[in-house]
Amino acid sequence: MRLLLIEDEQKVVDFVQRGLTAERFAVDVARDGVAGLELAQSYDYDLVVLDLLLPGMDGTEVLRKIRRGNPQIPVLILTARDGVQDKVTHFEAGADDYLTKPFAFAELLVRIKALLRRGATRQETVLRIADLELDRLSQQVRRGGKRIELTSKEYSLLEYLMANAGRVLSRTMIIEHVWDQSFDGATNIVDVYVRHLRDKVDEGREENLIRTVRGVGYVISDERQ
Amino acid sequence: MSSGSIRFRLTVWYTGVLAGILVLFAVAVYAGVNHFLRRNLHESVVKDAQEVGSIVLENANERDEGAIGREVGEHFSPESNDRAIRVLGQDGSQIYLSGPAEVFPARNGPSLRDQPSDMTYRPAGGQEVLIRTQAVQAESGKKYFIQVAASLAPTNQTLRNLLGVLALALLLATAIAVTGGFFLIRSSLKPLDNMAVRAQKITSRSLHERMPISNTGDELQQLSISLNRMIERLEEAFHHISRFSADASHELRTPLTIMRGELEAAVQNSKIDPEARDALGTVLEETVRLSKIVDQLLAMSRLDAGEAFLEMSRFDFSELVRTTVEYMRLLADEKKLALKVEAAEPVYVEGDPSRLQQVVVNLLDNAIKYTPEGGSVSVTVRAETDKAVLTVTDTGIGISEEGHAHIFERFYRTDKARSRQMGGTGLGLSIVKSIGAAHGGRVGVQSAEGRGSTFRFEIPRLADKGPRSATSDGQTFASAKGFETS
Repeated sequence: MRLLLIEDEQKVVDFVQRGLTAERFAVDVARDGVAGLELAQSYDYDLVVLDLLLPGMDGTEVLRKIRRGNPQIPVLILTARDGVQDKVTHFEAGADDYLTKPFAFAELLVRIKALLRRGATRQETVLRIADLELDRLSQQVRRGGKRIELTSKEYSLLEYLMANAGRVLSRTMIIEHVWDQSFDGATNIVDVYVRHLRDKVDEGREENLIRTVRGVGYVISDERQ
Repeated sequence: MSSGSIRFRLTVWYTGVLAGILVLFAVAVYAGVNHFLRRNLHESVVKDAQEVGSIVLENANERDEGAIGREVGEHFSPESNDRAIRVLGQDGSQIYLSGPAEVFPARNGPSLRDQPSDMTYRPAGGQEVLIRTQAVQAESGKKYFIQVAASLAPTNQTLRNLLGVLALALLLATAIAVTGGFFLIRSSLKPLDNMAVRAQKITSRSLHERMPISNTGDELQQLSISLNRMIERLEEAFHHISRFSADASHELRTPLTIMRGELEAAVQNSKIDPEARDALGTVLEETVRLSKIVDQLLAMSRLDAGEAFLEMSRFDFSELVRTTVEYMRLLADEKKLALKVEAAEPVYVEGDPSRLQQVVVNLLDNAIKYTPEGGSVSVTVRAETDKAVLTVTDTGIGISEEGHAHIFERFYRTDKARSRQMGGTGLGLSIVKSIGAAHGGRVGVQSAEGRGSTFRFEIPRLADKGPRSATSDGQTFASAKGFETS
């Protein structure tokens, strides 16, 4: 998978490029709008990550020109502007997703993967991690063959963690996905739900599948792998 | 037309002044004509009396007093002159009388004096008359009193007619002036109405619009030009604010993005010493909190500048509160709090659902945080006249008297160490206040320290659900705006 990152802030480029490369993406970087557009028009990328405030050519202009040449390629906007109007303008101009700075790298990664998966709607019916099993059809969860009763919110939370197994999910991402954006801010609702989920899933087991990553969020993974 | 409008006041004022002037004029005309007519009558009566006097003197030597009467009747023929004449002797005996006797007062002998005198007299059941009395002395030393009476009826009739004409003219002139003036004022104030209508339409989102400039060269043109300059300055100020928000977002967010990105990578790096990783984790947590504060501050400045709402829709506020409370019930369960909701009746509002949900979340989150284990929190939604009212009551630690005034200020914390430990940004309640204000509502608190608090949040409600407009469709929203929301 080959990605194009158009971003003028060197330090942002550094950690995004490093992170994406670690996830086995090939990443090309353009430091201004004109260079970015040239690259986008010359090579066949799978996805473009585009900053809006760029020297040379404004990100919005770059987006419009990329869309004119290639209506298919997914474009993810990265910006410090978070007004509703900004979002609407750029979705209308052909952006596929929109991420506001500062963002968790994990969130960028999840969104990139979601965009790349789009179209190919192959969704696994049964998710498995170690001896934990989640069946999306019957909405049943078993561990070691034994049924675990979950509330609907706990189920959504576990499904989201398992669908992104091995990846750290931030509290904001969990809130946006399982609840609603307006819950972000004050509450520690995610921590409470994760604690309850953990009680049901990991209680009394030798191996704890759900782990806390300090300052970042939560991850579900099989440590033995 | 309301009694406070300029048109009304101007019309009343000049109508009053005009009517006053016309009344004064009419009074003057009436008095003048009255005076003139009476003087004329008086002069002619005086002349008649003198003539009669000279006839009496000419015939005074005659033995027969009847001759005097004949001479007077012959020379003067009072009936055809519309006069009544009486000649009395010195002792008051009547020597001659023409016309009806009742025209003259019956007993006036003793009161007759030598000097000429005038009187007006109204005989019983008759018309008012003017009586001239004059004395003449014959050579024989004999005195005669001559009285000439003229009817005032024609004069009074003329005056009455004049009064009628004047009253009619006054009413007519006033009516014409009022109507004419009203339309004149209206047409000259028309540009003002246009300006008011246009000004109503100019909001923070349409500051590029301007007032119509009337090319009349008068004060109204001046006013429209001044107003346009003011709108221009407002527009500039608004641009400055948005510009600042945008710049500040970028300048603050870029370094935060870098810090967060690098720290996230570091805390997940197993090669780093666990103690250092722990320290980095702490820094990361604070970075995330700083990001949240920046987000919320910018969101609030946009709310306060009135440029935040695009996702307006009409919905049942009760339903929103019920679902939100259920989402958060686990937080209350954790602390063994009894959480009650009373929001059965639908209460429709027009607003941004996600912002209003944030209000519920923030208020409830506070209530749960500051209520010790075993306490209770209750949430209600009610319709009160034209308002939707949300109350959140807890049995928590309460807020001190001095805290009441400051609790909605940014970064105000009643118990600094404690609340920071609980992980808030110190902005929750001021966000609630900003969201309330942006919806045309407000928030207030009642609290007793140690016994709990009640937060009351109110916004305008809709009389009923109205036409559906769950989208952010600008036109639907614009047309729905006038629908009993203010």
